[in-house]
Amino acid sequence: MKSDIDMVIVHDGEQWIARNDDLQAAGRTLPELDADLARTLRRAGGYQGRTLTVFMGFDFATLPAWIRQYAPHYFNRLVRVEV
Amino acid sequence: MNEINRKWYSGMAHTEDWWAVWLGLGMFGVGLLSIWGYDLVGWQLKTATWIEPGKWAVPSSKAYASLGWFGSFVTTYVVWTVLTSIGAYFMRLDVKKYIIGWTVLYVLAWTCWIIGNYAYIAAPVNQFKKFGITWGLSLGGDTGFIIALLVGLVIGNFFKPFAAFIKEACKPEWFIKTAIVYLGIKLGTMSVDSVTAKGFAIELALAGAAATFVAYLLFWPLIYALGRKVFRLPREWAAVFCSGISICGVSASIATAGAIRAKPIIPALVSTLVVVYAMIELVVLPGFFTAVAPDQPIVNGAAMGMTVKTDGADAAAGAILDEMMVANAASRGIMWQKDWILTAALMTKIWIDIFIGVWAFLLALLWVYKVERQPGQTTVPVSEVWFRFPKFVLGYLFCWFSVMAIASIWPEVIKDLKVGASSVQSPMRSMFFAMTFVSLGVLSDFSKLKGLGRMALLYGVSLVFIIAPIAYLVAWIFHNGMMPPLVGS
Repeated sequence: MKSDIDMVIVHDGEQWIARNDDLQAAGRTLPELDADLARTLRRAGGYQGRTLTVFMGFDFATLPAWIRQYAPHYFNRLVRVEV
Repeated sequence: MNEINRKWYSGMAHTEDWWAVWLGLGMFGVGLLSIWGYDLVGWQLKTATWIEPGKWAVPSSKAYASLGWFGSFVTTYVVWTVLTSIGAYFMRLDVKKYIIGWTVLYVLAWTCWIIGNYAYIAAPVNQFKKFGITWGLSLGGDTGFIIALLVGLVIGNFFKPFAAFIKEACKPEWFIKTAIVYLGIKLGTMSVDSVTAKGFAIELALAGAAATFVAYLLFWPLIYALGRKVFRLPREWAAVFCSGISICGVSASIATAGAIRAKPIIPALVSTLVVVYAMIELVVLPGFFTAVAPDQPIVNGAAMGMTVKTDGADAAAGAILDEMMVANAASRGIMWQKDWILTAALMTKIWIDIFIGVWAFLLALLWVYKVERQPGQTTVPVSEVWFRFPKFVLGYLFCWFSVMAIASIWPEVIKDLKVGASSVQSPMRSMFFAMTFVSLGVLSDFSKLKGLGRMALLYGVSLVFIIAPIAYLVAWIFHNGMMPPLVGS
């Protein structure tokens, strides 16, 4: 899973949030999140004209503790973003 | 701290699933030292049918007889407290709370298990004379598991502050997965006992795979259609619910929700339903199957595996069914070997667990490329299949095949191998079963059903009219005529 940018994704009850030390994007749906991520990357500068592969790994620690013992994984996604 | 599965080895140090493998294989390895004459596992306490106080348990190996029951009780506690606390530490649990909770569960589990082995409760009719009794319930020693479950349920529903106090250690999935790895040793030793048993084990595995595959294809679309058309569930809710009730309960709910990128609240609520209903199934089905089909032990076991959701509840139901059906058959003069019915229940469940990853991957592809089509924008990494694969199955298969391989290559060591293996595959496995029963009870709070009316109704309707009958029919088609080997065969 090679990627240009790695992010952690969580859901706060209302929206999906993807973040790393430098970037944060959010959206009520995943397409909205991806659109916000593209805008965020454009604002950040340095990526203009590139197509980036962004890895989003769901932070499993945000699931309720009692159900984590039943499954060790929620999801990962790879998103291609044209900046 | 974030928990993200990024590399193939992610989670090896901090998930219950992997820790079941480490505890399982670790003790299996130590047990194997008996081949060279070192019995390092015989300190494990095991119960015995008793009439005289103090004779209710003994060390599992005569080499440790000097410990007596209490010395063995303490040694077993110390060893397992240390080992599981190491696991708890790496799983980032509150170790202090874990040790307190574990201690309570340990004492409760052993107390219930010992009570269940009281001769008036457990002894079969042909042993009344041995214990100097003239009557008894003849329910078998595993009645202690049912008592443990009931005690757990009372705590979980009527003493909720106390349940909260010990819940850090209530890890039924961890306990049962560890026990299932030990069951792999049991299956291995049963397989080497006779050619008949070996052939039967393989037949059971193949029939279980076929039955599970067929059942999947029927359960999922039927319940999805019922949820969408009749109960008007939104698509995401229907898919997650459907996997929860059709496939393997909580783990399938989470896998499906992850696969279709559902909000995490959906699998959390569905899981609540699954856990509570699994408890009802666990209490009702073993007795029902025994009463209705006493001559279909393997069909009953396989049907149990496809009906009862969550590994813990299924293994618990399988153990009760095994005990009830073997005792029932014995009362009719048929002496089936123990644990084959339990194995049938677990075999279908293990296949289901294996298929979850594949099924979730297919659903993820369907969702990304068809349902929420975002051409060229997102992809589903194939590694998702591995991340969702139940790792304890690797431990189970490794133990099963290792025992068979050792016995095939060096038949002269079988007797010595069994010295260590018998302590691990029976008393240790049973202890983890007992811990599972208590923990399941503690975590099953029936009041959580409040507010889940429509979903609870759909679950009940699906279970009674779709899952249970189809599971039984499919189990019957693929397992009809299969019987557990007889004692001594």
